[in-house]
Amino acid sequence: MTAVRIDPIGHNDRRFGWALTAPGLTALTLVVAGPLLWTIYISTVGYTLVNPGYDFVGIDNYRAAFAEDYFGDSLLVTVKFVVAVVIIEFLIGFTVALMLNSVTRFKDVYYLILLMPLLINPVVVAQIWRMFLHPELGIVNYVIGLVGVPKINWLGDSRIAFWTVVLVDIWHQVSFMIILLLAGLSALPREPFEAARMDGATTLQAFFHVTLPLMRPVIVVTLLIRLIFAVKTFDLVFIMTRGGPGTATDLISYFIYRSAFYGLDIGQASAISVILLVVVLALTAYLYRYMRSLA
Amino acid sequence: MKRLLLTAGFVLAATTGVQAQTVHILMETVPDTKYIQDLLPEFKAATGIDVDIEAISYIDMHSKLVPQLTAPTGSYEAIVVDFYWVAEFTKAGWLMPLDDLIKRDNVDTSVYVPSLMNLVGKVNGTTYMLPFYNYSMGIIYRKDMMNDPKEQAAFKAKYGIDLKVPTTWDEYQKQVEFFSRDTDGDGKIDFYGTVNQGQRGDCICMQWSNYLYANGGQYHDKNWKATFNSDAGIKAIEDYKNDIAKHGPTGAESYCFDEASSVFGQGKAYSFVTFNVLLAGFDDPSSSQVVGKADIEPNPIGGLNGGWGWAIPKSSGDKEAAWKFIKWVESKETIKKRTLAGGAPTQAWVFDDPDVLAKRPNMPMLKQLVETAQEFPTFTYTVDFVEALGRELNLAVTGQKDAKTALDLAADEFNKLAKKDGLLKE
Repeated sequence: MTAVRIDPIGHNDRRFGWALTAPGLTALTLVVAGPLLWTIYISTVGYTLVNPGYDFVGIDNYRAAFAEDYFGDSLLVTVKFVVAVVIIEFLIGFTVALMLNSVTRFKDVYYLILLMPLLINPVVVAQIWRMFLHPELGIVNYVIGLVGVPKINWLGDSRIAFWTVVLVDIWHQVSFMIILLLAGLSALPREPFEAARMDGATTLQAFFHVTLPLMRPVIVVTLLIRLIFAVKTFDLVFIMTRGGPGTATDLISYFIYRSAFYGLDIGQASAISVILLVVVLALTAYLYRYMRSLA
Repeated sequence: MKRLLLTAGFVLAATTGVQAQTVHILMETVPDTKYIQDLLPEFKAATGIDVDIEAISYIDMHSKLVPQLTAPTGSYEAIVVDFYWVAEFTKAGWLMPLDDLIKRDNVDTSVYVPSLMNLVGKVNGTTYMLPFYNYSMGIIYRKDMMNDPKEQAAFKAKYGIDLKVPTTWDEYQKQVEFFSRDTDGDGKIDFYGTVNQGQRGDCICMQWSNYLYANGGQYHDKNWKATFNSDAGIKAIEDYKNDIAKHGPTGAESYCFDEASSVFGQGKAYSFVTFNVLLAGFDDPSSSQVVGKADIEPNPIGGLNGGWGWAIPKSSGDKEAAWKFIKWVESKETIKKRTLAGGAPTQAWVFDDPDVLAKRPNMPMLKQLVETAQEFPTFTYTVDFVEALGRELNLAVTGQKDAKTALDLAADEFNKLAKKDGLLKE
């Protein structure tokens, strides 16, 4: 009888919980799960904008995607881009975060300055940098010209353009790393550091044996989030290079955009999106498991 | 509470009751859009209809339009259609045929330049659009330099021919070479014979088409089989590469027309193969250092034709209001005002209008340019083809591929798309 009396309360709690989360869950289902399932469905039908139809084509869209000229190049460029921006931004971000962590005065000013690029819309960032990097009329070549450096063909040379886009992405996104890592650093307990100092550890030893292990979960999360965003980079190449010179900066997101809006093939564009989703999910799952194993 | 509800209901009823008719149009941020915006109060006064023009950059237009055209009722009552979307939009059935309205209201479509009516007016005998403005390509050049007697003498001494509006491509290329100069003596060219817009995508495709035609090339034969991977195509790529490397500014292989026109507008180049509508901007003191010094000449064999047409999408929420607007904007009175302001018209008579000629003496040259311009292949997959061709041309121009391999691949892609569209049969 007692159990019967307690149960309704628990039941009520659960119902109340469901009622509270229902609006959020409904919204998520509508804006996340709905389009996601729809994309997976569309990737299996022959839907084009010129001839919208829902005839089932199985894996034809996937096969056609892999058969596209330069699909492999685009995947490779994307992997290179993601690895480059995530690693470089992490190294810069962690260094700056460590430096800022020991700063006591004007911390807010530094935060404000660091946050500024992050607050600018990527399209605006790309437009600004395209003007800055104009080889003839841009300020960058003008300034380096003052010290005798010859004009650099920032976006027209296939060997340089990729790194130019990486550099602009770093300028835009590195503060994201700094802010997250700095938040992690300032939340670390003081005791292990004091104990290390008592035991005579040097600064480097303290960093490698105390800071890094304690920061590992934060680092993994930061890398994970940045990685997911990096895979989706679109605006920079769309505005600055249109994937060129040649295919030097042809990221997969722009490839998908072209399939959908230039090729008018929504089925194939959905198939490539699903491939991308699977890759990102696999990476996320791996990093998530790694993070849990640390915990 | 009751009073509050009543008031709210009244306000709601009143606002819906007096809601004015509005024609929403998505347009490109170009001078002709601006000229029309300036004239809109006249349309409002005559009809009571508001026109809301959303002006954005070209690269965002197609992707913004398509979802609106596929929706049962889109956000735009009227649209403007670039020539290379025409086949795609009509094949998908997104545009409303205008023939009945033209007949009903006795609109005279014979006033349009035939090449433009063909480009952005009729498709297979049905009128889907009224031509809006032309952006046929020509060669914008520095007339002050061409007309300078010292330059003329030096040119004659070097090449044995007169320095004048060129009648052959070779003559133009000689001028490009002649005017490429090292003005500060550091061993590098810093005044450029020409400036290219070689960015991957439509920028390079549009400009390179002029090089192709100038070398006697064509995109396809009568059966829609690609022919641009010919010797003429290869020579066109070599000329283009040569112009960038020897006679052009650093980075021209990544410029679109805006970066390229900045170089010309800053007085750093002699010529620029581009859209005729850009000429007006070089006479604007707020953005140009070459005010009064630039003019336009046709490409010797005929440049690339280009234009936009007014259309009413089937998803239009108010087709009558849209048609009223199109009739007004293409009326003789409005066309004349727009042309006097600097616009690029599509109706033939306005090129010969005495008032227009008095203000814009280069109208005969523009007329010749429009009349001799050649067409880019327009079919359902033009946009897709432009991407493939733009990529291959850019690969060739940046030295990542040789010209023949790049053109062969683009030609294969063209044949594949033409076959998919039912044009190439083999």
